[in-house]
Formats: sequence, C-alpha cells, structure tokens
Amino acid sequence: MGLEFLARVRRTALWVGLVAALVTATYAAPLLALGVALGAAWSLANLALLERLIVAITGAERSSLPSVRRAVQAVAGMLALFAAGGLLLRLLSPAALMAGFFIPYAVLVLKAAALLLLPSALWKRLTQDARLASLVVALLFGAAWFAVAPLRSASIAAPGHAAAATESAQATAGPAAPGAPAGEAHEAGHEKSEGPQKFPNLITVLHRAFPNAGWSRFLEHYEVILFALLVAFLIGLVARLATRNPQLIPSGLQNAVETLVEQLNDFITGILGERHAPRFVPFLGTLFLYIWAMNLFGLIPFMDSPTSNLNVTVALALTVFVYAQYVGLRGLGLVGYLDHLMGSPRNLTGWLLVPLMLPIHVLGELAKPISLSCRLFGNIFGEDMLLVAFVSLGITTLSFAHLPFGLPLQVPFLVLALLTSTLQALVFTVLSTIYILLMLPHHDHEPGHEAEEELLEHSPI
Amino acid sequence: MNFQAALALGLPLGIGIAAIGSGIGLGLIGQGAMQAIGRQPEATAKIQLAMIIVAALAEALTIYAFVTMFLLSGKIGG
Repeated sequence: MGLEFLARVRRTALWVGLVAALVTATYAAPLLALGVALGAAWSLANLALLERLIVAITGAERSSLPSVRRAVQAVAGMLALFAAGGLLLRLLSPAALMAGFFIPYAVLVLKAAALLLLPSALWKRLTQDARLASLVVALLFGAAWFAVAPLRSASIAAPGHAAAATESAQATAGPAAPGAPAGEAHEAGHEKSEGPQKFPNLITVLHRAFPNAGWSRFLEHYEVILFALLVAFLIGLVARLATRNPQLIPSGLQNAVETLVEQLNDFITGILGERHAPRFVPFLGTLFLYIWAMNLFGLIPFMDSPTSNLNVTVALALTVFVYAQYVGLRGLGLVGYLDHLMGSPRNLTGWLLVPLMLPIHVLGELAKPISLSCRLFGNIFGEDMLLVAFVSLGITTLSFAHLPFGLPLQVPFLVLALLTSTLQALVFTVLSTIYILLMLPHHDHEPGHEAEEELLEHSPI
Repeated sequence: MNFQAALALGLPLGIGIAAIGSGIGLGLIGQGAMQAIGRQPEATAKIQLAMIIVAALAEALTIYAFVTMFLLSGKIGG
C-alpha cells in the first residue's frame, strides 16, 4: 500500500461522491446533494493535503528548502480548509456534510479490506468453483434481502393512506378468469382496475386461493421476475442437458441445440462480418434465445410471458442501449464517439450542420431503446389480449347452453402467436445487432452492408 | 361529450388510422422485396433480412398507437 493506492482511493471516492450526490439530488433535495458533494470534496482535499504533508516530512529530501515550503503550504491549506469546513457546517445540513465526509474513508476501508481478502485462501477456494461462487452470491443476496426487510416494510407503512391502498389493491389483484361468473367481474369492476385483464397463470391462481398469505403476496408482486427467472433457468437446463455428454456425431437434443446455435451464429455473422462477430454472438444469441423463450412461455397454460410486461422489455432494451454505447466508446474512443454523434463532419458544410446533426443523433440514440421496448411489449401484450378476447368470445357464444367450456375460437390465433413470438424475438435481435454495428468503426466493413447502414443511419426509429 | 366518451371514440379510431398507414407501408415493403427477389433470387436471404428490419420499423408505428391505447384505456371506465 503506497501512494498509488491512495491515488486509486481518491479516484474511486470522486466517482462514488459524484454518484451519491446525483442520487441524493434525484431522490431527496438538491441542497442535501450539494452538502454531500461538498463534504466529499472537503474530505478528499483534506486527504490530499495530509498526503502532501506526510510526503514532505518523511520523504527522502526532507530537510531541503522546497520540501519545507511544501510542508508549510500543506499546513496553511489545511487551516484554510478547516475554516471553510466550519463555514460549511453552519450553512448546510451537517448530516449531509458528514455523509459526504465519510465517503473517502469508506472507500479506503473497503479497498483495504478487499486487498486483504483477495489473496486469502478462503477467497481462492470460493472463486475456484463457479457453482460454489454463484451459490455464495445467491446466499448473500438472500441475506441482504432479509436484512433490509424491516426498512422496506417501514417505508411502505409510513404514509397512512399507502397501507389502505395496498389493501384495496390486494382485493382486486387477481385478474378474473375468462369464464368467471358475471357477479365476480362486476364486483371487481367498481374498483380501479390496473389494466386490461389477462389469462390467469399459476401465480395469480395461487394468489386468489390464498389472498392474505405473505408468500402469495410476494409471488404476486414479483410475478414477472419469477417467470423470467424460470425461463432463464429452463434455458440453462436445456443447454446443460444438451452439452452434458457431447458426441462428435450429435443426435437428439444436442443436435437440435447445435443447429439452433449454428444458425444464430451464421445469421449474426452475416450482419456483423467475420471480424467483429465472435465478440457479439454470445450476447446477441442469448438475447434471441431468452426473448424467444419468454415470448413462447405465455402460450403454455398457466404460464405468462414476462415480455408482456413493459418493465421486462425496457430492461432488455436498456441493456442493449448501454452495451451499444459502451461498444461505441471503447471502439471509437471519446473523440471518435462524439465525432460519430456529430455526423462525422469533414468539411465546412459538415461543421456548419453540427448544431443540427448532434441533437438529431442524440435523440435517435435515445429513441432506440424506447422503440425496441415498446415494439416487443406491444406485440406480445397485444397477442395475449387477442387470445383473451377470442377465448371470452368463444365462452359467450356458448353461454346459453351453460357448458363448462367455450368454442375454441382462439386456435388460429395461437398459430399467429407462434409466428409473432418468433418474429419479434428475431426483430429485437436484428435491431440490436444493427445498433451495435452502427457503433463499430466504419472503415473496414465488407461490401454489401453499406446499404443497410445508410438506411438505418438516417432512420430515427 | 365528456372526455371519457371522446377517448372511447378516439382510441379505436386512432389505432385504425395508424394501422392504415402501417398497412400501406408494409404492403409497399413487401411489394418491393418480392420484386427484388423475383429479379434476383440468389439474393433472397439478404433481401429478406432488410425486409424484416424495415417491416419492423413500419409496424412499430401501429404498436405505438396500440400501447398508447392501452395506456389511455384505463381512463375510460372511470
């Protein structure tokens, strides 16, 4: 541990302080955020001056004149800093200032702890096996979840009307089954419905059966995430089963999975080109498989498509957005990235058009995740709604006979749903691929891709 | 006419209008792609890829109208 370690601490603390101030400004008050930022800045300046003082006193040429002058400067700076600190404590909230003040120390302690932890035998044992490591991470998440539980319930219960609101929401949360008696539908109707009703799935059925149990409320609240996790788990299981005992001449499941992966690889390589594709195929292929499986999941009885919830699709689209920007920043550098956003001006006309091109490109970049997420959500949600509409139509046509089933009017639309599920997963993947392609350095494209790029470069969607 | 009635009349109409536009666009895209494939069958894969992308862009506009309808349809039955 030396000065280089301190420099790393300073850099990290600077970022942490910045983020903490931004978060405080967003969720609390700007004045508090100013306090946090100034506290962190004060603490950092204090640390830097201390470091200079110690270097000046204990360094190799400590008795030389420049070194003495540096020490005197540091002491004077610290005195000024303490005066400024006293003034700040009067002006701003002391709690925020103290929170900012402790940020660099917290970073210091955590970094030192990490330095001690990383070479230890226990850490090596834990990280050697991927399964053990993931188990530990899951356990830590679980522990953290239960550790913050009192905080969560306190923040929910604090405003008086919020509790009543959740209660009334629980009363109507389970969407009525398509064949539900009219009385029930009427009973649910007078409350504010959260949206159009969907098919009942395993979780909503359980929630209706046990509306007041804590675990069923938990399931109902995290319904979408649980289904998404289930899909991810199933994909992992299939991949594991297919590659457990690899054969040179594949058959059965291994054959099917290999065909799928090879098709995906060829498809994405066809767009990105041989040179860049290996970097991006794992991400984009996983994206396709995950979205495809999630889309199709809703067609299984008592299951639900996680992608028919806007939160999931926005998460997916944001992942793609951040990744594309990261690829652009890494590949082009900061200057190249800004140049790309300004439309690569190379002559006077280009530079004159920069004030026009820059907002257009920035807006275009921001429109991409919105359009990606809304497209996927709209398609899958619309597909679900279409099925619901036709199922209830089938039930109402036979309602005069009081039969326990309806006409299967939705069957043709199930085929349509298969088609849109696949197509939308494909479209999401292709558009993500194109967004990444647009961010890659321009000069070494294979011929034949310029047309597509031209086409998309100027399209805001 | 209160705003609920206006919404109830306007939302389906809006979707219909958006669908007309998208439909025309999709038809033109399909026509262009089919002609291109007919003229150059060996480029089918590339043409299909571009067609799917552009079709998704055109179709997205209807989907936006659709999503807007779902966002606003909760306000009708007040």
